[in-house]
Amino acid sequence: MPKILLVEDNEMNRDMLSRRLMRRGYEVEMATDGLEGVTMAVAGTYDLVLMDMSLPGIDGWEATRRLRQAPETTTLPIIALTAHAMAGDRERALEAGCSDYDTKPVEFDRLLGKITALLSGGA
Amino acid sequence: MSLSNPVAELRHDLRTPVNHIVGYAEMLLEDLELPTHASEKAALEQTVTAARQALEVISLVLAPTRNSVTVTELTELYAKLAEPQRRIIEMVEGLLGATGEEPTPTFAEDLRRILAAAGRLVPREEPAKPVGAAEPISTEDAGKGRLLVVDDEPGNRDLLRRRLEREGYTVLTAAGGREALDVVGRESVDIVLLDVLMPEMDGLAVLDHLKSAAATRDLPVIMISALDDLAAIARCIEQGAEDYLPKPFEPAILRARIAATMQKKRWRDQEREQLRALGYVTAAASAVEAGAYKPGLLADVARRTDAIGRLARVMDRMAAHVHQRESRLQERLGRLRDEVGVARASIETSEVAEGPNLRSGERFAGRYEVVSVLGRGGMGTVYRARDLELDDDVAIKTLRPELLSDELSRERFKDEIRLARRISHRNVVRTHDFGESGGVWYLTMEYVEGITVRDLLDSRGRLEVAAALALGMQLAESLAVAHEVGVIHRDIKPQNLLLDPDGVLKVMDFGIARLSERSTGLTEAGLIIGTPAYMSPEQITGEPVDQRSDLYAAGAVLYECLTGRAPVDAPNMVSLFARVLSEEPVAPSTLVPDVPPAVDDLVLQLLAKHPDDRVQYAVVLLERLQAVG
Repeated sequence: MPKILLVEDNEMNRDMLSRRLMRRGYEVEMATDGLEGVTMAVAGTYDLVLMDMSLPGIDGWEATRRLRQAPETTTLPIIALTAHAMAGDRERALEAGCSDYDTKPVEFDRLLGKITALLSGGA
Repeated sequence: MSLSNPVAELRHDLRTPVNHIVGYAEMLLEDLELPTHASEKAALEQTVTAARQALEVISLVLAPTRNSVTVTELTELYAKLAEPQRRIIEMVEGLLGATGEEPTPTFAEDLRRILAAAGRLVPREEPAKPVGAAEPISTEDAGKGRLLVVDDEPGNRDLLRRRLEREGYTVLTAAGGREALDVVGRESVDIVLLDVLMPEMDGLAVLDHLKSAAATRDLPVIMISALDDLAAIARCIEQGAEDYLPKPFEPAILRARIAATMQKKRWRDQEREQLRALGYVTAAASAVEAGAYKPGLLADVARRTDAIGRLARVMDRMAAHVHQRESRLQERLGRLRDEVGVARASIETSEVAEGPNLRSGERFAGRYEVVSVLGRGGMGTVYRARDLELDDDVAIKTLRPELLSDELSRERFKDEIRLARRISHRNVVRTHDFGESGGVWYLTMEYVEGITVRDLLDSRGRLEVAAALALGMQLAESLAVAHEVGVIHRDIKPQNLLLDPDGVLKVMDFGIARLSERSTGLTEAGLIIGTPAYMSPEQITGEPVDQRSDLYAAGAVLYECLTGRAPVDAPNMVSLFARVLSEEPVAPSTLVPDVPPAVDDLVLQLLAKHPDDRVQYAVVLLERLQAVG
């Protein structure tokens, strides 16, 4: 089953998203800040990363840039999750190296669609 | 978080709990089996609907295109959110209250998460709390500072609280003036953020209260006011408000003003703390002067790691040292007093009524009544007399006429007496007047009831080391004050040193030896002052003398006090002179084994033939004597 890394500092968001993903059959591992996320992503074997962009320490933007620079994760699909919903966020996310982008609160079915598309389409 | 747009921050704050509500509710819905859980499904669907309504309201009011929001808008937003919030809570509480088997193992737990998220959405209608229930909302990072937000407007209060907590402050809130005063009286607060316009008790009245009470006078107050109310702002600043924040809040300004005010307060607190510590140190200094300092009194201040702490530690050490020396001196003085007491008892006091110039009962110089002869010396005779004018005992020293035969020597002597009169010290016999009456030149001095060190040594042989040190210290002190005003004694010897019954040493004849200076030396044998045993080599050879000559004499006196013998002795004057110039005295300890090595060294150093090899100053001698353990 595909393995997803969820990088999210909010405990409730982590709990909720991971549970909903797991009941759809995904294997989910979690990191609580940017640095942990980068470390786990580089060292592990994930099929996709869900990255919250507002993280303590190094934020999602920086974490994504670092993942793109590391050879192990250059092509790893990353979906950015932002709470901003600001105009231009999508462009910013893609520019930082994200494969796709979604806003919080998560429309779960929409997110699921994006995950499925990235995983089946290949990176 | 690196969000900088306040609207985006607030939007994020409000959407997060809604996000949780939707997420958990949807997840639970997926697990429900129909038709068994139809009612649960309906309730959860309503929950999701209510949450989505809330999201719409948030997105509408806090649109991504906006950078600021007014208080009115915010108040309206909260009012609009209150309704979906109420519905969500009602639904979820209903589900939680229902009996029967749980649809999923974590059903109740997840419902409680939804409830918690709903509770965080909007500050809920605050039920009437007891006055001052403004509890610290966050205790995290209390180190950054504690702020009290005073505003009657719940929305405004909440906005400020959230933002300040985000900055890391601990935030207390109060809904009115009286509550604010109560909180300030009870809690530790660093800065008060005070709304100007409030019902009942407005910001100005609160400010007035705070600034008129000593305990809160220095508490910084930042006024919150609409920008157009400049008159009110000016009035507040006149009354002592530190600063003001215009509404709507500009986050950068809010952050800067609070941080600056906090920094100023810290500095002021620090300054006050330093002043307090410094106050302790100066009080301790006064105590040291008054002899009331007890070592350890500065312990609290001495623990500080700054310069004041160091000052306190140094002070304490010095004071302890002084204390130790003082008690040592007292102990030594006690010994000297005992020696004096014993000597006095054995000395026969034979009163001589008549001297070469004056006789007992005679009225002299119009105001003195002669009592008796106290002693005779190379310079003249000393009488005890009564100053009838002042009704006080005095000593009168009549001077040998040949010493003052010409005007020049009289003028020089007057200069010397003028100088000597400047010495005021308990170890120096005070000189009063110089004059002439009936062809007799005379000096009047303080009368000291006591014996000379000569009498003491003749009676006791030698002194205990402690008593000798007490004498030496007092002698050094008297020389130190005299040398400081430029007076050299030139004739320190046991006959010139008086001891009163308390063991207090009084040095006589400061300045008088100057009279004989022109005639000092070997050529005019009749005018040799004192005993050559105490004269420095340079004095004997007629070279210029300075304060080090007095120090030689002090060494000779100390030597004799310790050993009972003059450092250099000879059967006649001529060989004595020769020996003073060439012979090294033996160490006192070879004669009296009790004498400690430090005293041995010191005395021998004082008796060095060349002035450069001696202790150079009387204050140094005093230091070294005090230091002898």
